[in-house]
Amino acid sequence: MSRSISLHGVGRTFGATRALADVDLDMEPGVIGLLGPNGAGKTTLLRLLATALSPSQGEIRVLGRDPQVPAERTDIRRRLGYQPQEIGFPRGFTAFAFVDYIALLKEWTQPAARHAEVRRVLDQVGLSDIATKRIRAMSGGQRRRVALAQALLGSPPVLMLDEPTTGVDPEQRVTLRTVLAEIARTSIVVLSTHQTEDVAALCERVIVLDRGRVRYDGQVTELVRQAAGRVWLADQPDPAATVSWRTGTGRYRNVAAQARDGVEHVEPSLEDAYLLLRGGLPDSRPTEEVAS
Amino acid sequence: MNATLAPTRPESSAGRTTFAALVVRELRRFVVNPVFLAAVALTAWTTWGNPAASVNEIDSVNWYPAIFLGGFGMMATFWLTRSMRHSEPVVGVTPTGLPVRSAALCTVAVVPFLCGVLTLFAFLHYHPLDARVYGAFSPPAQVAVLVGQIVVPTLGGPLLGVALGRWVRFPGAAFVAFLVLFGWVNVATVPSLSHPDSLAATALRQFAPFTHFTFTNNGAAMTTWRGSPWFFIGWQLALCAIAVLVAMLRGADGRVRARVTRTLQVVLVVAAIMFVLAAAGGFTHAVHA
Repeated sequence: MSRSISLHGVGRTFGATRALADVDLDMEPGVIGLLGPNGAGKTTLLRLLATALSPSQGEIRVLGRDPQVPAERTDIRRRLGYQPQEIGFPRGFTAFAFVDYIALLKEWTQPAARHAEVRRVLDQVGLSDIATKRIRAMSGGQRRRVALAQALLGSPPVLMLDEPTTGVDPEQRVTLRTVLAEIARTSIVVLSTHQTEDVAALCERVIVLDRGRVRYDGQVTELVRQAAGRVWLADQPDPAATVSWRTGTGRYRNVAAQARDGVEHVEPSLEDAYLLLRGGLPDSRPTEEVAS
Repeated sequence: MNATLAPTRPESSAGRTTFAALVVRELRRFVVNPVFLAAVALTAWTTWGNPAASVNEIDSVNWYPAIFLGGFGMMATFWLTRSMRHSEPVVGVTPTGLPVRSAALCTVAVVPFLCGVLTLFAFLHYHPLDARVYGAFSPPAQVAVLVGQIVVPTLGGPLLGVALGRWVRFPGAAFVAFLVLFGWVNVATVPSLSHPDSLAATALRQFAPFTHFTFTNNGAAMTTWRGSPWFFIGWQLALCAIAVLVAMLRGADGRVRARVTRTLQVVLVVAAIMFVLAAAGGFTHAVHA
C-alpha cells in the first residue's frame, strides 16, 4: 500500500468563490505544517484530504486510494484521523463516552480493546483525570483536546489536524508536539495552524497557502533562511520595512523584502519569514475572490 | 501524557459487527431517553387505567399507545438522530457511513415495537375479543385492527423520527409532524362519519398511518366502517419501510444509493397496492348494530 498523499491540479469552488486552485502536492510521512492567513484555503485543503469534501477539479490520492470511489473512500477513512477546526459535542456525553462512540464508528468493536484505546488517547492528550467529566462542562482547551483525542485513535497513518493547539496551554502544546512527533515517524501528519512556533518546533516541511494557491512548499529552514539579513531591531519602526512591531523590550522588530545594511540584524524566525513571504510577494495582491 | 503507540485496530471488525455494536450503543441511549420513558409510563397508565366496563368503543382507548409509544417515540428517535449533528465533521469521516448509522437508529425502533406488542397483550387481557366494543369484525379481524392501531404505530412513529432527523434541520420537526399527523387522522375521519358507505371517504380515512375502524354514538349505536384491517397493516408496514429507506438515502452514494432507490421504488408500488386493497377490501358497506 502506498504511504503517500498526492494532489494534482486540485481546485475547489463554493458557488462563485474559489477556495483552492491548481494545487499540486505530494506528502510523505512526517509532520507537514500548513500556514496561511484566514481564508487562504487551509481548512478546505484539510477537508479535501479528510474526505469530507470532494474537489471541483483535479485528482487526489490518499495512501494510493481515490476518495471519489465510495469503497476506496471508506478504506481511507479506516486509516484517517481528523480534527476539524470546529466541532460540537452531543449533550450529556463525557469525554470517554464521546471518544468511545467515535472509536466504535471507527470499527473498534471489541469493547476491551476499544476501551483500552480510548484510555490511551485520552491519556495522550492529558484528559485521563477528567475522562468522566461531561464535555459541556469542560473548558475550550479541554474540548479541543477531546477533539484531538478522537483523531489519535489507532495512531492513524494519515492525521489531519486543523488548529489543534488553539486554546491549549503551553505545557500541553509541548506534550502534544512530542505525541505528534512520535506518530509522524510512520504517519503523514498535516498540521494547519496560525502558530508559526508550532510549525518551527515540529515540522520539517511547510506549505504556505494564500488565496487558495500554494505560495511556498519546502523546508522550514529554507524558508527561514530566505529571511536572513531582512530582519532587524531598531528604536523606531522603519518606513522601509514591510512590517514592524514593538517587542517586549520596547524596540521595534522590522522585517523587509529587501536586505538592509547598517542595521542591527537579528536571527529571523519562521514568523518573520512567513510575514516576509506574505508581504513580499509581487503577486500577493488580490487576484480573485477566495475563502476557506 | 504519554507518547505510547496504539494497539492495532482489529481488521476483521468491519461491516456487520460494527453495525451490531452500533445498534446496541444506540439502544442503550434510546432506552434512557426521558421522552421515551415518559411514553412507556403513560402507555402503562392508560392501558391499566381503562377498565373494560367503562369502554363503549375500542377506538376510544386503543390510540393511546400510538400517541405515546408512536408519537413520543418519534420525538425520541428524532432527538437521537440529531444528537450527533454538531459532531458531524468528525463522525462524517469515519468508515461507518451515514446509511449504516441511519439503519442502526432505525433498528432502535424494535424497543417501542416490543413495548407495543406487550401493550397489545395487556389490552387483550383488559378488553377480550368478541366484545361488542370491537364492532362487527370477526375475532381475527379484531386482532388485525388492534395490531394496526397499537403495534404498528409504535414501530412507524420512531422510524419516521429517524427519517425526519436525517432530512429536516428544524429542531421542532418531530413535534410539528406529531401535531400534523394527529390533526390529519382526525380530519380524515370526519367524512366517514357522514358518509360511512363511501369508498372515497374510506380511502381518505385510510390515507394515514393510523385509522379508526368503528364509531359509536356514546354506545347507543355501533357502526363498523368499510376497509380491510389486514391490508391496512400492509399499508402501514409499507410506510414503515419507506421511512427506513428515506432515512438511509441520506448520505448514500454509489451502489448503496442505487440499491436503496430501487428498493424504495418497489416499496412505493407495494404501498400503493396495499392502500387500494385496504380501502376496497373488508365490508362493502358500513355495518350498523
